[in-house]
Amino acid sequence: MESALKDKYSIVGIGETDYTRGSGRSTRALAIEAIRNAVTDAGLKMQDIDGMLSYHGGDSVNSSTLAYDMGAQLNFYMDCSGGGSSTEALIGLAIGAIEAGMCETVAIFRSMNGYSQVRIGGTGSRASTPVSGPGLMTRPYGLASAVQSFAFSFTRHMMEYGVTSEDLARVKVAHSNHASNNPKALMKQRVTVDDVVNSRWIVRPCAHLLDCCLETDNATCIIVTSAERAKDLKQQPVYIRAVQGRGTKPGGDFHYQHGPISRVAGHYVGPRIFDLADLSHDDIDVTGCYDAFTYTVVLQFEAYGFCKEGEGKDYIKSGIVNLGDKRPNNTSGGHLCEAYTHGMNMVIENTRQLRGIVDDYCPDWQNGNHTYDYSEGGCRQVRNVNTTMNMGWASPATGSALILRR
Amino acid sequence: MPVYEYKDLLLNIIEQDSEYFGYFEAAKEHKLVVKKCLDCDLLRGEPGASCPWCSSMRSEWHEVSGKGTIYSYQIIPHAILPGFRDWTPYPVVLVELDEQSGKPLEHDGLRITANLLDENMNPEHEENVAIGKRVNVVFQDMENGLTLPQFTLSDEEPAGAIWRYPNT
Ligand SMILES: [Zn+2]
Repeated sequence: MESALKDKYSIVGIGETDYTRGSGRSTRALAIEAIRNAVTDAGLKMQDIDGMLSYHGGDSVNSSTLAYDMGAQLNFYMDCSGGGSSTEALIGLAIGAIEAGMCETVAIFRSMNGYSQVRIGGTGSRASTPVSGPGLMTRPYGLASAVQSFAFSFTRHMMEYGVTSEDLARVKVAHSNHASNNPKALMKQRVTVDDVVNSRWIVRPCAHLLDCCLETDNATCIIVTSAERAKDLKQQPVYIRAVQGRGTKPGGDFHYQHGPISRVAGHYVGPRIFDLADLSHDDIDVTGCYDAFTYTVVLQFEAYGFCKEGEGKDYIKSGIVNLGDKRPNNTSGGHLCEAYTHGMNMVIENTRQLRGIVDDYCPDWQNGNHTYDYSEGGCRQVRNVNTTMNMGWASPATGSALILRR
Repeated sequence: MPVYEYKDLLLNIIEQDSEYFGYFEAAKEHKLVVKKCLDCDLLRGEPGASCPWCSSMRSEWHEVSGKGTIYSYQIIPHAILPGFRDWTPYPVVLVELDEQSGKPLEHDGLRITANLLDENMNPEHEENVAIGKRVNVVFQDMENGLTLPQFTLSDEEPAGAIWRYPNT
């Protein structure tokens, strides 16, 4: 059913810190800088923020601590436990909080020293944590990182549909081409299929080093308020058409019971978001598909119905995901090349695309003047972007989605 | 409180852990068990606290044959956990047990994660790991009293085609 709140809320501010490996700062300092950048972008003051939402894995700072630094009196805040696919879900929760009258303007943030402190890849401070509960079924067998916990789904999908390392490498190649036009990207170097398949193995047969995202120190922020209030703010509003998730597969498990294990949560999230938005795949101009690994992109394009099950590799090989083609994906370079932010940077990028002021190497990008020359060191603004979609991933079993409009 | 050290990991398998304590207690007696619902009789792959099909909280540990088929696999050449470095490259397998395969729904099954080991309890050679191969449970007893259920290749012929990624 179509959402009653369609286009009634907006993203009015976006901000991030530099993407680094070694910030030398606290997650508190990082968060404040990202929030300040988003507040400035929106034409607001810190004290105008009266709602806050964040997500973390025991590796971040609380909203109430930041309220001190912001001089803000909050009417609503929640700091949620969560990783990937939380960005989209928290945008939905921000709408809910405002709609319920609890607050007016919500800053959503994620702050993490994801390289220099708590590494999602499982090394660093997490590796020595005592094991209990469900972890007893995996860690004693040497499974610790995200890619290891997803790999059974990936390998099984390779068998079912004949996916090769080269197919996966093409995801990285596309995103690296996009990142080469992004001054903020950690890895701006364009890579080839050979570069990816010749990088060292992380997990056979589904992930080489260059199939994995870049652990990054960073903070990011997205500000949500009503479309009514957005009209008086600095930026051209970007409308939240629909949001869905975090949703799960039946039973919510990766692979212990339910099957097929190569079918991921987007299979359930996808039909609902297109219904809520009253739109179809053909309406989507740009996608942001959570690329923790090249494989998550393949699986999500299939699950969300941009292609049939088993044809994710062909969708990517067709070139449709490249800048200059019909529906570019992860135009900032995403997690594989721009930075790993737990999903925030791909919503931020789509917001910039919809505004028409992507921060590329075009000399006058600030005024929305772009060359549309997508060669290395050039433009990454897509022409005539009206509608974008984000597909968030937490695991094979959990995902979320967001559709934005100009 | 039973805390076991294994490959530099600390495993907290406490008596209050009603989902996992019984699993490892049974392993000490060389039994592989899954939870069985006492109301609808269905078995479940993940122990859990209630039956996913009928919501009953009444269950018992039920011994299974320990025979199954490799449903998926991964080979880890780059160990994240320091205690596993001398095992690299080591296989981790997702085994679908023979019991209740394809039930109650077509793609459902009881699936368990473990290492695939050879007869000397060392990691099986990578080229011998493939989806579709038949396996049996084995029990890896440690000196500290911990026993881990593991799997080893069986002499049985696979029921269908086997698959592993070419040239790895
Ligand atoms: Zn039952």
